[in-house]
Amino acid sequence: MEEKNERRTEAKGGAAGLGPRKVVGTPVRRPERTIAVESYVPEVARGVGITLAHFLRNTKEYVSGQRPDPVLESVGEGINTLSYPEQRRPYPERFRGLHRLTRRADGSPRCVACLCCSTACPAQCIYIEPGEYPVGDGRRGYERFPKRFVIDEVRCVFCGLCVEACPCDAIRMDTGLHAPPYDSRDQFLFEKELLMSFPGRDGSYQTENPRHEPGDPTHPGIDRKRHQ
Amino acid sequence: MASFKIDGREIPFEPGDTVIRAAARAGIEIPHYCWHPGLSVAANCRMCLVELLPPPGRQALTLNVLRWDPEKREYVDEQKPKLVPACQQPVSEGMEIKNDTSPHVRRARSAVQELLLLNHPVDCPICDQAGECRLQDYWLEHQATAKRMHDEVIHKPKAVRFGPQIVYDAERCIVCTRCVRVSAELARDPVLSVSHRGNLDEIVVSPGRELDHPYSLMTEHVCPVGALTAQDFRFKARVWFLRSAQTICPGCATGCNAFLDYDPRTDTVYRHRPRENPTVNRHWMCDEGMLSYRRVGQDRILRGQIKGEEAVLGEVVRAAAKRLAKARERGALAGLLSAQHSQEDNYAVLALGRALGVRAWFVTGKADGAHDTILRHVDKNPNRAGVLALCPEATPVEGLALALEADEYIDLFALGGDLPDAALGRPFGRPKARIVLATHDGPLARRATVLLPAATWAEGQGTFVNAQGLAQVSERAVRPRGESLPAWRLVLLLASELGIELGWKKFGELGRALQGARGADPSAGTEPDTGVST
Repeated sequence: MEEKNERRTEAKGGAAGLGPRKVVGTPVRRPERTIAVESYVPEVARGVGITLAHFLRNTKEYVSGQRPDPVLESVGEGINTLSYPEQRRPYPERFRGLHRLTRRADGSPRCVACLCCSTACPAQCIYIEPGEYPVGDGRRGYERFPKRFVIDEVRCVFCGLCVEACPCDAIRMDTGLHAPPYDSRDQFLFEKELLMSFPGRDGSYQTENPRHEPGDPTHPGIDRKRHQ
Repeated sequence: MASFKIDGREIPFEPGDTVIRAAARAGIEIPHYCWHPGLSVAANCRMCLVELLPPPGRQALTLNVLRWDPEKREYVDEQKPKLVPACQQPVSEGMEIKNDTSPHVRRARSAVQELLLLNHPVDCPICDQAGECRLQDYWLEHQATAKRMHDEVIHKPKAVRFGPQIVYDAERCIVCTRCVRVSAELARDPVLSVSHRGNLDEIVVSPGRELDHPYSLMTEHVCPVGALTAQDFRFKARVWFLRSAQTICPGCATGCNAFLDYDPRTDTVYRHRPRENPTVNRHWMCDEGMLSYRRVGQDRILRGQIKGEEAVLGEVVRAAAKRLAKARERGALAGLLSAQHSQEDNYAVLALGRALGVRAWFVTGKADGAHDTILRHVDKNPNRAGVLALCPEATPVEGLALALEADEYIDLFALGGDLPDAALGRPFGRPKARIVLATHDGPLARRATVLLPAATWAEGQGTFVNAQGLAQVSERAVRPRGESLPAWRLVLLLASELGIELGWKKFGELGRALQGARGADPSAGTEPDTGVST
């Protein structure tokens, strides 16, 4: 761009016949070419001095145990080195990590396959195949369940809208994990079983929100008064 | 024309109109649950209440009511005009109605809406009606207050099997009795009724019976809430993901106007819904037609076959063209048109067949089936009238079987894979080449020497002429499955392989050629939607 402008100015100048272009701005000051500069020795010594000072300070802090822990404490003065992946900085409490499907008391998914999450998803990365509970299950006729629940974790933009949309607290992003590096895209298609195998950061597979199974005495209706 | 006023606007009406009907025709929607333009008036939901102003010089009929005054913190006496249900109120000349402009009407609607939702389970996330539910729409539009009842809701039976097609959820039901009236008035089989009263009411099937009449899916279709769900559509899809194509039901010669709902993301067809057409099917469709959408995926021929072996389309077309060229030289070619296919497909086959010197034309199609005087036609083919108008000399396929046996014809060029039972038992002679363009597996498709995969009605636009002689256009919903192509396009491929010029290359040109061939008969088009929301 600049080059272009320059050329244009030159062409203009040439056309107008104004002679050589006037230089604007202050010229760069070059170091004086003394023997000390030309020999490089003082500059090398100065650089080694800086390195040595850091080395000695780190060693002293390491030996005396004064070095701030880069994982637990914030980045302070001096050198802060994390030996990733052995050492990791903890994610903040509300970090949106990999999804998990929460479970009911009997271990089945809380999800009722309403497709609210996949409707809300701006990346369209959630695929759900709803199914009906088998004959004999108390939930048959009341609810459906996800026969398949697949999240494409590569396509996901981790916006958290699926969690907001879920009416059942069935999908959460509180695993504290991020997607590991895989070598093929298929491996990022997380199926229901995998999503249900992640615990939350508190180690629980369930959530604190109570779930009212059809037929039990806490099923909707009774609790409304208390909650309002 | 006589007229009356709604909110100051002049509305024309016809003798015998009710307020809601005249308003609907004028494009004013008065909220309603129980009223349906095709059914009798029940006036039980009370959602369509409007204020009827008294004639000039007369006093309005009023009621004494108590209104809670939040400032005084007590109930105060108030006069309220008596509201009338718009679905039941006949219109008379010069009548004045207040709809949205009346505060009394707005309050009444809010109260009705709150009442209907008192015992509702509010399980929208797992309800199949969500997205097309009146309760949701009117809650948003008309309910001014939140629910104020904190007692436990009434629990009622859920997931009750009403019949092979219908499942009932009494907790979601608002007992508008639309389903009861559909059974009694449309299907003339009063198998449903209401039991109990007040909070405890629910719809029940007559003892010893099931909801199994041929119009049982219409009960689900008219249900304004999620109380009745179709076994077929239940838990399959969310309606906001679906798009609708305006199609013609391929089930019988009545040619009911339908919406074919499909998911454009996966190209999957999910259901049929009746589309209103007062001259053909009014608001209705039969169960058979409602479920005929499944034909898009059932028993389809997705790849071409040469002597029973699957092959790529190009090869199949070349093989068919080679055999047709030989058949032209032999000069004993019989042509078969299909009453299952659209006018365009049949016209294309007819044009190519005439260029090849077909000696005689026959019509095939599905065998006759169950029929009644309501909608279902005995002829289970959507386009027999159209085929006979295109090719009046065509005779039923039974004659073809006899002629083939007598070696009258050596080769066969056919559209459609169906053969009625009467022709099935025949050995079908020994035609040298049988070139068949078929959508579905069938007796004739299995006997083809070269089989070309054709697209169904849902996969391409086409015109169908019903038994009344009404030519109706059916839109394309999804892309053709597998390697199939619309039959007229297959004919075009065959013609170019044979070096025959048909005079048209695109669908529009084919349509114009067809218009020219058909002349003025049959000429009627589809009736436009009246826009009455049901």
